[in-house]
Amino acid sequence: MPDSRKGGEIRQVSRGVTTPDVDTAMPDPEIQQRQKAMELSAIGKRQPRLDGPEKVSGRSLFTDDVQLPGMLYGKILRSRHAHAKILKIDASKALALPGVKAFITGDDSEKVFANQYEPAISKGVTHYIGEEIAAIAAIDEVTAEQAIELIDVEYEPLPAVTDLRKALRPSAPRINPYHDGNVASHNIDNYGDPDQAFEEADLIFEDKLATHPTHNLYSEFHVVLVDWSFPDKLTMYTPTQSGYLFQKKLSEAFGLTDSQIRIVHLNTGGAFTGRGLLRPHHYIAALLSRKTRRPVKIFSAGDEEFLTCRAGGDNDYVVRTAITNDGVIKGFEIEGIMDCGAHAAGLSYLSAMAGNYQARLFKIKGLRFNRKCVITNQRPNFFHHGGMMTGLNAAIMQQLNRAAQQIGQDPIDMFLANAAEQGFTDIVGGTFASCGLKECLEKVRDRSGWKNKYGKLPPYHGIGVAIGSMASGVKGAFKHDTSAAMVKVAEDGIVTLYTGIPDMGQGTHTTMAIITAEVLGCDAEDIRLVAGDTETTPLDVGAFTQRGTFTTGNAVRIAATDARDQIAKVAAERLGVTPDQLVFRDRKIMVNSDRNRNMGFGEAAYACLHSREGRFVMGNGFYNSPLKYGTLAWSFGAQVAEVTVDPETGEVQLTRITVAHDLGRAINPLAVEGQIDGQIFSGMSQTLYEECETDNGQFLNPSRLEYKMPRTYEMPQVEYIIVESVDPYGPFGAKEVGEGPIVVTVGAIAAAVSNAVGAFMPEIPMSPWRVLRVIHQNGDGSGSD
Amino acid sequence: MAKQQISLTVNGDLYELLVSDQQTLLDIIRTEIGLTGTKRGCTTGACGVCTVHNADGEAVLSCLTHALEWDQESITTIEGLESDGELDAIQKAFVEYHALQCGFCTPGVVMSAKAVINKYPEPTEEQINAGMAGVLCRCTGHIKVKEAIRNTHKIRARDGVKGA
Ligand code: FES
Ligand code: FES
Repeated sequence: MPDSRKGGEIRQVSRGVTTPDVDTAMPDPEIQQRQKAMELSAIGKRQPRLDGPEKVSGRSLFTDDVQLPGMLYGKILRSRHAHAKILKIDASKALALPGVKAFITGDDSEKVFANQYEPAISKGVTHYIGEEIAAIAAIDEVTAEQAIELIDVEYEPLPAVTDLRKALRPSAPRINPYHDGNVASHNIDNYGDPDQAFEEADLIFEDKLATHPTHNLYSEFHVVLVDWSFPDKLTMYTPTQSGYLFQKKLSEAFGLTDSQIRIVHLNTGGAFTGRGLLRPHHYIAALLSRKTRRPVKIFSAGDEEFLTCRAGGDNDYVVRTAITNDGVIKGFEIEGIMDCGAHAAGLSYLSAMAGNYQARLFKIKGLRFNRKCVITNQRPNFFHHGGMMTGLNAAIMQQLNRAAQQIGQDPIDMFLANAAEQGFTDIVGGTFASCGLKECLEKVRDRSGWKNKYGKLPPYHGIGVAIGSMASGVKGAFKHDTSAAMVKVAEDGIVTLYTGIPDMGQGTHTTMAIITAEVLGCDAEDIRLVAGDTETTPLDVGAFTQRGTFTTGNAVRIAATDARDQIAKVAAERLGVTPDQLVFRDRKIMVNSDRNRNMGFGEAAYACLHSREGRFVMGNGFYNSPLKYGTLAWSFGAQVAEVTVDPETGEVQLTRITVAHDLGRAINPLAVEGQIDGQIFSGMSQTLYEECETDNGQFLNPSRLEYKMPRTYEMPQVEYIIVESVDPYGPFGAKEVGEGPIVVTVGAIAAAVSNAVGAFMPEIPMSPWRVLRVIHQNGDGSGSD
Repeated sequence: MAKQQISLTVNGDLYELLVSDQQTLLDIIRTEIGLTGTKRGCTTGACGVCTVHNADGEAVLSCLTHALEWDQESITTIEGLESDGELDAIQKAFVEYHALQCGFCTPGVVMSAKAVINKYPEPTEEQINAGMAGVLCRCTGHIKVKEAIRNTHKIRARDGVKGA
């Protein structure tokens, strides 16, 4: 794409240290020291999940378990064509079926958009196979399904284009009215001075890497239950990453106020970045409920699920690294063409984030990301676990491992010489207030036995290293990025924490209970939790951009401290000291200098209420990053992957992976390991297995049997290394561990496979047939080429 | 769509049910009997979240079998694992070893794991892998699930847990 930089409509933006509106975190050794020196009791223990007993006994309620009186079942009629005019929809036979209560089409939802450009129900034309074109509500699911079968649709097929490269040709059909030339967006981001970086380089490496469509594969399928029986109150039960965001979107779409919308998110069966946005079925259930004045549930069937998810699509990258002969990494240049599918939604923003994250790892001079989002007649795409960072990291880490080899350096030595560190200001303009990247690299090198393996492995055995960083929360979706929390202490000393953040499995609720317990000197088991309902919990922007531990954690810390201060005042009077002389430990409030002088925590809470003041202890807090936008704290990680490749079959086996992650402080090491496990699984799955195979927009493997993932027996040996850099701004020093590791896993496995076959791996997933093709074309398995 | 009467024992309780030939065992467990611990996922035998036990303590995918075939039979669901108000050793192991995260797959994964334990109280790696090959757990990557299964016998020895 050499000429695209000069194109008229291209928006070229420069972000650099001189940009005046970029604020950043600064290292603060004093606070950091204080955080490090803290005497902790609840934090750092291997704490089993508090909802464990409920979940293992089948008591936990998920959306599909909820039945409301008079509930109806919705089903959606989906397009059979990748691109067609809808001439007629005849539902007379369906409506004649006993038990059918409502039928809606795009006529009933003209102004309702699921996302900026995506109609809740498409009207007059359909843009991809599986698009919503009508819906039925009936007294039971079987009736609703039968009714859907009875609807007659007359289509007039239009030329379709499902390949992102073909969609860019001048002869390609126009897919929607919003995007000329099927280009949803085209941006060039320049960080630092990329031209100078390439000028200073002795060597330039260039490779191409393609990724393919995926599914987020949360275990709970998409499901929604809406009760909009009365016009001024819409209640929605659904798994989500953010009740707040759903409230906002629904109020906008339906002209209600936020408070007229209630989101109940009970338990959420996984998200893997797939539940941040509303989908058409959420709106359709609402429309059907409004029409029938009865609650309506819609459950996605197995194959339907693959069309309703908005995971990764076909993306093509060209990656260039500029490097000197002695291994100084000068910069990167990336070109990306990314498939938005039929409706653009946020992909441009996501790709910007991916480039931004890659710019921060090394002390480089510049990075340019030329990124184009393309409209095709495919399922709309958003992103998979790890965002677009995974694909980019797979390309860049392979390239760097190979570059090091070529200039005769050990990749880990080269990474160490170039890696970012605490206090370093990157080319995006951010400064790292804490950074354990080098420690991560050194530790994975030692634990993996890298020195004895690198360059010494037998043919078709490979080893690779990768690094990455991840934001602990990004401000930008709204002007604020607020999490709020309340901590109630009843007169019997029982503590209840109110939080709006969803727990999709990552364990945030237990993490928040631990933070509360730490502040109040209790055990995590002493903390009760109220969550999962926008009507009873304070606002929380939600569980995305890895903001839970950092942002909600800070809010909870502040709320618990507020409660603590209220109790401390009364306790101090009783103990005849000032509040700052007290410590809260072991459910006691003690005089720090003489811990035998103490009173029980419950006793103190009782004394607060049963006093002249009659104080009921209720702590409040909220946290909003002081930045105008962006991120205050970054996590860092390094991983070494070891693989064997079967040259006969092309099968890759990940035998061992050594993971070091700098998460600031491990609030709960047990849950940290769990998070790492899940991301190794998911990263391995993306790199080696997962692919939605499509043919002209038709999904060929829409089932969990055919859409491959690792099974129990395929999981590698895992070595965990937790690096605690103790961030000055994180709650007790903590940063994220929810998505940082997966990006690195993908990069490390890619580098290891490429090391095993002696060639750059140009596609993920590295399915056996693709590996074989590479081996036959250029690899010799010697680990060098 | 003529309905037929069946009698089915679930967790020791006898149910007389009118079922149609379209209903799966999963359907009646969740909607007729009202035990929602057994989850509805793919409904095509691909994910394992609907796993229950037959009378012999073997794992059965309840989404793949017609309710009519279960006349005069006895099954156990996730709700039936506890005894005397105490979690089964496998359930305790899952909690203690962090073998669950989102928890949606958990009832099915626990039932599959329990079927392994029923057969092999101290299973080998191969026996665990074979018994767990049909279930998917995205969150845990199966790593701590396997650890929990390997350590269940220790918990049973420690707590003297009832249950088979
Ligand atoms: S519901 Fe997926 S196997 Fe039964
Ligand atoms: S715990 Fe979430 S899929 Fe298993």
